[in-house]
Amino acid sequence: MNKPKVGFYNLSGCSGCLLTILNCENQLLDVFNGAEVVSFLMAQSNNVEKELDIAFIDGSVTTDEQEEFLHELRPRTKKVVCLGSCSCYGGVQAMENEKGTWLKRFNKVYGKKPFKVVKPFESKPVDAFIPVDYYLPGCPIDADQFLYNYARLLRGLPADVPKTPVCLECKWHENECLLLKDKLCLGPVTSAGCKAKCPSHNLPCIGCFGPADESNLTSEFSLLKEKGYTFPEIERKLRLFGGVKFIKQFKSLWKKAQK
Amino acid sequence: MEKSTKVKFNQIRIPALARVEGHGNITVEVLKGKVKDVKLNIPEGPRLFESLVIGKTPEEATSIVPRICAICSVSHRYAAIRAFERALNYKETKATHQLRTLMHYGEMIESHALHAFALALPDFVGYPSAIAMVDKFAPQILKALKLKKFGNLVMEVTNARWTHGENATVGGFGLAPTHKQLFDIKWQAQELIADAEEMVELLRNLSYPTSMEDGIVFMCLKPPTDQYGFVGDRVLISTGEEHPIEKYKELSNERVVEHSTSKRCRYNDRPYVVGALARMNLLGERLRGRAGECFKRCYSLSWIRNPLYGNLAQAIEILYSLEHIPQLIDSILKKIKTLETDAKIQKQPTGTGKNVGAVEAPRGTLYHYYEVNRGIVTGANLVIPTTQNFDSMETHIRVAAQNLLANIENKPLAALTAQERKDIELIFEMIVRSYDPCISCSVHMVEVK
Repeated sequence: MNKPKVGFYNLSGCSGCLLTILNCENQLLDVFNGAEVVSFLMAQSNNVEKELDIAFIDGSVTTDEQEEFLHELRPRTKKVVCLGSCSCYGGVQAMENEKGTWLKRFNKVYGKKPFKVVKPFESKPVDAFIPVDYYLPGCPIDADQFLYNYARLLRGLPADVPKTPVCLECKWHENECLLLKDKLCLGPVTSAGCKAKCPSHNLPCIGCFGPADESNLTSEFSLLKEKGYTFPEIERKLRLFGGVKFIKQFKSLWKKAQK
Repeated sequence: MEKSTKVKFNQIRIPALARVEGHGNITVEVLKGKVKDVKLNIPEGPRLFESLVIGKTPEEATSIVPRICAICSVSHRYAAIRAFERALNYKETKATHQLRTLMHYGEMIESHALHAFALALPDFVGYPSAIAMVDKFAPQILKALKLKKFGNLVMEVTNARWTHGENATVGGFGLAPTHKQLFDIKWQAQELIADAEEMVELLRNLSYPTSMEDGIVFMCLKPPTDQYGFVGDRVLISTGEEHPIEKYKELSNERVVEHSTSKRCRYNDRPYVVGALARMNLLGERLRGRAGECFKRCYSLSWIRNPLYGNLAQAIEILYSLEHIPQLIDSILKKIKTLETDAKIQKQPTGTGKNVGAVEAPRGTLYHYYEVNRGIVTGANLVIPTTQNFDSMETHIRVAAQNLLANIENKPLAALTAQERKDIELIFEMIVRSYDPCISCSVHMVEVK
């Protein structure tokens, strides 16, 4: 049987999700032998661009060149998988999105001279341009979650990612709840998968796995409000890794609470 | 995935640099046998980090900046912590300092093992990747992976994750590691010293191309004691000068160039180099133990002219870090009760102040500067190792191109055989790789207020 052909690609990001794969030292040979890795620029120099069974994408879309690449990639790829919060939600670089400040911030950083190399724009997730089949969130992704899903995908099975929030994993670790200690923890609304690393170190969840499917933003919101946190404080935290995904729902909650 | 622009008849072009972090390409233009232009183009997408930390708390900024780059995320976090603590007058206790040092060693070992053995080494032995090398070099690759895994373990124990851990904070740590975890690291470090020494020998016995050799100016941080080390508040330069890190702007002189989304640096109008090779050249005499012996065995005058020895310098730094871990852990264990963890951390930084903090990232000196007003960041500036190294990469590519073309009687590029072209391209790529460039890092680091 032919091995599935896979490619690993990196757009705008820190390469942390691809690094997480290279960090699976004990399984690394299996990762490369279980499939035909036709493209992985960060790890090898004999890359070929051709028809793919699975493309893994790390990083968000911030230039015209990357947009073109996605449109070129999609038709020759059976399954597209987003790796990490950048490709799933736009990443930390999307935290100020839809505020209308991008151009001002861009000019502040680079000056007004036009770019010669690429045409840049506000950071967007991959699904703003092409249909995506599966999402593995995280900043960075969790290695065990990747390996489990990599094995599933190579066998033609769908990805299996938790819909539950970090709180569930936190309870499994028998941690004392940080919200009860009045800390602004995003555990109740953030997707599980990190093994509750931060709360297990007495640190509030910063939401790096993005919004959980089965979360209760309403109750998190009223709890935080009760504890005296302000709208800008909560919004700032939600935006750090979730970009604008939370914000619409959050704003309507805030309006209701004001009445 | 870069656009495949057609190569002009008088150009050598490498469209997408492989086995580096991020995106870059090289264009070398030749006119009548003379190298006319060398461009290391950086089309990396902008993320505007410096604007993202404005309006955030120091705590949030410390979570944001490591995301600039995964491979040096610990160094970014550590540099930010040092800058905020210097700006807001925190006192670092000895135990906290030592645990941070251990965390920093973890990153040095992991990042160097990845770069020196998995990204750079394949070129020297004629393979496209470390995975492909397993055919012939299985024991060596497995040792390299073991070292890399150990570096990750150290980061996980100290900073809660391999990459982007959150445990190290302004003021201390969220949670102290357990005795068992620290003993485990100590034991493993002792076990790995022999492997690290073997990897140094492997790299020492490679043959190093010389076509790019040219005099280099080096810079690194001066450790506060007379030992080797990776942090300091003063900068050493191979010209014999010494400056406080507060002068980082005058030392780096960042400027914008058209062909790159990363800025460029020069000192006294000359390219300069930071990283393991700079540290070895400036501080190598301070090494003791097996790392010291290896340094004496490996060092030669080529080290001040040939960037490719950066790989070997990294291997010696892995050995140095491993040798220091056991005594460091003994010392941490004696004081672990005084460690500034969660309950004891001085509360949320709410003060006002501004200052710079610096650490040696695996690939060179990293400066973070912040202005804080009543607990909110109002200004930020970051100077990144790879930004500082770009000009030197271009210089050495230029020298190599001139020498390699002279070797084949300066025949026009159109007349090069496929093999001749491939050989030249490989040298260019080896030069860039030897700096261990972290291109995500290098992009868009400018002052924002």
